[in-house]
Amino acid sequence: MSTAILNAKGIHKAYKMGRGEVSVLRGASLRVEEGEFVVIMGSSGSGKSTLLHMLGALDKPDRGQVEFRGQSVFDQSKPIRNHYRNQDVGFVFQFYHLLPELNVLENIAIPRLVYHSFFGWRAAKRKSFAEAREMLERVGLAEREKHRPSELSGGEMQRVAIARALLNRPALLLADEPTGNLDAKIGTEVLAMLQEFNDAGQTIVMVTHDGCVAEKAHRTVRLTDGVIQADSGTRSGSKSKSGSEAGDHRRGDSGDKPKTEVV
Amino acid sequence: MYKWFLAWRYLHTKMIAFFGIASVMLCVAMVLVVLSVMGGFLDTVRNRSRGLHSEIVMNSHSMQGFPYYDEFSQYLAKKLPDVIRATTPVLSTYGLYRDPAYQQTGPTQVLGIQLDDYVKVNSFGDGLHYQKYFPGTTHLGPQQMPVAGMAMDHTLTLPPDLEEANMRWRKSETDQSLIDRFESAPFEITSPEFPVFAVKGERQFATRVGLPGYVGPERNGIIMGCDIINIRRPDGNFDRTIARGANIVLTLMPLGPTGNPTGEPAAKLHLRYADDSRTGIYDIDRMMVYVDFDLLQSVLGMDSRQLVDGNFTKPRANQLLIDLDDGVDMDVAKDQIALAWIDFQENEIPLDLDSSEQMSLYKVQVLTWEDMQRDFIQAVEKEKVLVTILFSLISLVAVVLVGCIFYMIVEKKTKDIGILKAVGASGRGIAGLFIAYAAAVGVFGSILGLAVGCAFVWNINDIQDWLAWLNPNLRVWSPDIYSFDKIPETVKQADAAWVGVIAIISSMIGSLIPAYAAAKVWPVKALRYE
Repeated sequence: MSTAILNAKGIHKAYKMGRGEVSVLRGASLRVEEGEFVVIMGSSGSGKSTLLHMLGALDKPDRGQVEFRGQSVFDQSKPIRNHYRNQDVGFVFQFYHLLPELNVLENIAIPRLVYHSFFGWRAAKRKSFAEAREMLERVGLAEREKHRPSELSGGEMQRVAIARALLNRPALLLADEPTGNLDAKIGTEVLAMLQEFNDAGQTIVMVTHDGCVAEKAHRTVRLTDGVIQADSGTRSGSKSKSGSEAGDHRRGDSGDKPKTEVV
Repeated sequence: MYKWFLAWRYLHTKMIAFFGIASVMLCVAMVLVVLSVMGGFLDTVRNRSRGLHSEIVMNSHSMQGFPYYDEFSQYLAKKLPDVIRATTPVLSTYGLYRDPAYQQTGPTQVLGIQLDDYVKVNSFGDGLHYQKYFPGTTHLGPQQMPVAGMAMDHTLTLPPDLEEANMRWRKSETDQSLIDRFESAPFEITSPEFPVFAVKGERQFATRVGLPGYVGPERNGIIMGCDIINIRRPDGNFDRTIARGANIVLTLMPLGPTGNPTGEPAAKLHLRYADDSRTGIYDIDRMMVYVDFDLLQSVLGMDSRQLVDGNFTKPRANQLLIDLDDGVDMDVAKDQIALAWIDFQENEIPLDLDSSEQMSLYKVQVLTWEDMQRDFIQAVEKEKVLVTILFSLISLVAVVLVGCIFYMIVEKKTKDIGILKAVGASGRGIAGLFIAYAAAVGVFGSILGLAVGCAFVWNINDIQDWLAWLNPNLRVWSPDIYSFDKIPETVKQADAAWVGVIAIISSMIGSLIPAYAAAKVWPVKALRYE
């Protein structure tokens, strides 16, 4: 039986523009399996990022449901939604969105700082920074931990953003054009890194308009006129390994083989 | 945890935070300076006002005075022995004084006092100038002019009792600097024919050669308000223009028992300048002179006089000052004394008083010193409240300014808010971050403001001297106007604590609206903000 980690049903979203409204999403639906690497493609302004924001509970749909492991995200209370953003989802943005006042290590540790209370942090500080260092090593920036974001290149900042997104070992990584602001070489490196995490069992949903990037995914869906139109197949050697075989780093990973499905 | 962590980080990495701290600091310093100076001013006014009277004053509200004051004193001593410590009657009238040496005439208010008792019920004795240097030499009884003598070696010797008093003073004086100042005072011969010596800034006439002593006919003493005959220097000290024992003429208008002038010619009293008094309140020190109670009572016709029917009038006084025992509540004592006065009138006074006497008794009021000086104290109190309100309004500007600064910070940090929310921060947590940030700005601003405010208040007189040195017109505190030599320079701990706490709370209030706005925003809206 397939295990849907995420199930978005009939998402509608419109924005007010002057006196009128622009309908961005008109009933978009997407089902993502555990361990899957799904790419959402579409032209500029098609609503890809908007859909991703709904999936990560960064924005609220006008209509429709987003279910995470069978639980509706938007029917939950605010604290549970905050917990969902903190523990279940990691977000990577096109423009990195690092906090300029914090150094690299602190930026990675920020989800833990947000999670813990003043007193809880005292107990968790050492472990949190150790794990943040570990993530920093995994993204290959161990020697840059004291540097400020302004002292990093775009690729390095995106690596830090990925490390931050994955620190709490979320079940789902949502990436909004993570290579969109990088040159081809660096973009490829970042993509390879994401692929590596996926191989380790990380479920990833990524938004891009770059066809080459989409080739790396198990499955590509296209967003046109506010709805998901088509599935464009899988990458070669698609998700054949279970998470545990690849050195799973996630929490509560089922390790089931993914099944692609266009809803 | 991130709230404190980021608040601290924002605090020392954001230039705008320093503007917030600076505005809080300036407001705290400003309000503290105003509160301390005005509070100190009020305290000084109260203390000096308190020193003018006794704790309780029975006031006749008429120059005509009231009889039976002496009998009531004795009645009170028996009736309320645990309440009353001392009583003394006072006469009050108006007259003209003349300083023949300087050809100076002016209006004056004349108090008739029993000096030995009067100094027991208030702090009048502390303001007597010569009494301070020559204890026991100031009195209002008959006296001659004390004259310093010049020995053959041109050193100055004081009259025998002044010398003795001087020695006594030197032995008892604990403040060595006062003695040193006296020792170093110049003795200078200003004229070989008629030598005048300057002693501690005052002039003392001296016999050319010979023993010091006293000259002239005996005359009753008069204590003058220090601003009547002396010239006040900007530093608050005085240039004394006449010698102790100099002749002062006082012209008075006697009043009969009915309150009408007796028709006798104005009484002219030749007195000797015995001392000058400094109460610290300019209006009093430039108007008031003090003479012997019995002398004034007699001159004014307020003593016991025989009437045509052979009876005698009762002596009258204008006030009866009543000093209370330690620990006695002033307001309770006031009520007790007022009741005692009613009892006294009903039981102890003959029933056949004439109407003017009855009226004069009826008009007597029992007041506390605060009642007596209410107008004066209330004016200063109201001034303090007014100035504090004005400066608090200015401080409100600081709250609005902090609000603006935080609004700008929130605007600038909108993307951070989006990032933090994207990693799970709650709206309440985000609001808490900005309120914690504001609290940190408030705490640092308050600490610095209190430090600056205290430093300013503690050195306010030096600062004024420095300003006056730059430009004399910048001297804002003139003792002529405020009657105190110095600007109050004490900071009350409670004032400082309140100002600091209110500044911190105000800073937090200033951040509430932006913090609330930050809490409400959806993460994606914040992230898209440019």
